[in-house]
Amino acid sequence: MNIIETQNLTKIYGDFTAVSNLNLHIRKESVYGFLGPNGAGKSTTMKMMLGLTKPTQGTFQIDGKTYPADRVQILKEIGSFIESPAFYGNLTGEENLEIIRKILGLPKDSVNQVLETVDLAPFKKRLAKKYSLGMKQRLGLAGALLGKPPILILDEPTNGLDPVGIHEIRTLIKSLPEQYNCTVLVSSHLLSEVELMADDVGILNHGHLLFEGSMAQLRQKAEEEGFSTDNLEDIFLSMIDEDNRKRGAVK
Amino acid sequence: MTLSLETQKLKRSGYIPTFLFGSLIASAFPIANMLVRSENFVNLPGDPFAILTNTNWQMIAMLNTLIVICGACMMYHAEYADNASQKMDVLPIKGSSIFFGKLAISATALTAMIIIETVVMTWCACHWFPSFQFSGTEFLKSIGFQVIVTLPTVIVMLIIASTCKNMWVSLGIGVILVFTFSIIPQDNTILNLFPFSSPYQTLCTVSGNGKTGIFLSVCLIETVIFALTQIIFQKIRRRSE
Repeated sequence: MNIIETQNLTKIYGDFTAVSNLNLHIRKESVYGFLGPNGAGKSTTMKMMLGLTKPTQGTFQIDGKTYPADRVQILKEIGSFIESPAFYGNLTGEENLEIIRKILGLPKDSVNQVLETVDLAPFKKRLAKKYSLGMKQRLGLAGALLGKPPILILDEPTNGLDPVGIHEIRTLIKSLPEQYNCTVLVSSHLLSEVELMADDVGILNHGHLLFEGSMAQLRQKAEEEGFSTDNLEDIFLSMIDEDNRKRGAVK
Repeated sequence: MTLSLETQKLKRSGYIPTFLFGSLIASAFPIANMLVRSENFVNLPGDPFAILTNTNWQMIAMLNTLIVICGACMMYHAEYADNASQKMDVLPIKGSSIFFGKLAISATALTAMIIIETVVMTWCACHWFPSFQFSGTEFLKSIGFQVIVTLPTVIVMLIIASTCKNMWVSLGIGVILVFTFSIIPQDNTILNLFPFSSPYQTLCTVSGNGKTGIFLSVCLIETVIFALTQIIFQKIRRRSE
């Protein structure tokens, strides 16, 4: 059963099409890796799902609810982390999460739980503006995980983390569907990272969905189209190159 | 809940010290004025409180307006500086309730500031004018009037600050508006009803002209209109993004 579905989702800024006729199918309690080079339209798609930007065309359903009619209901079910960490610099990490906790109407101990989850508990009394980039990233993740939402939308959550941090966050994301019964939509421009945590992938280039399916299906498609299947990174690059070539030919 | 959230967001932002410092500076003005040249005022005919208000309120109102501008800029700077407003946009809370939470805090801070200033002016009246008789009703009326005529300025400034992500832009606009409206002639009722101009009006002057009702009703209507404008503006902004 799909918890997130989009139908011909399109976003056009002036004469630039950021996302074009996107049809996504995200299974419940799965980790969906959203892949694409920088500027492919991943963040724009996520922003549309969160109501941060209005679709030019097309619709989407999240857990059977539609935007904009059910905006508040949708946001109650989603924990999100978009682009860069967002926080109040004048407040401590704990106070930042306390604000989110109050808005979501969660019990008091949920803040400490989530701080433990992202390993920020020892630094909870420090001002958020004094956090390192990795700590800010963890704070953003903590804000998304607060209250164990059934859907998580994470836009490049490992940006700025050191290799140990990347590994920890990756392990955490992979464990979420089993631990919290949640669905994770995670974007990245690194296939090597996504293949370690995602059940399904969607590959986006210039706003167009080039592929959607499981890792096994991706390998199969690569074989069929004559791409190298030794390394998933190569498959991804080959698909993007091929698409770019076609686009060049169209022009 | 929104009010407590908005109050929590202002921790360590310097908001409360700014208002406190501003009200102390504004309150010091009538005391300094009386210490330096009390002989110019004590022999004037009329109500001592009215004399003090007419002498000092222009400067106090300008300081109040500048503090209101700084406060609005500080409130929204906390939202925009580290992108916190984007996080708020993806939480199940309405943008309008955030705005009205901030408005309630600004109005409370303004009221506190005006109370401190009125208390100091009352003390000056008691100290330098032996004939002065304190009236609790007049005291409350004066505070209420000054708060109501300043409210449109507060709400307009909050709208400006919420619109401009760069604090220096909203601060600049606010300061330009203060100085533009401060040169408006005080005898033009229509111009004096505009935000940034109405805070300079005092109850004793306006009641002397029989225009208390006009000022109170127009300023309250302006406040409601600007509140509705903000709600509509937020809807338009959401749709256009």
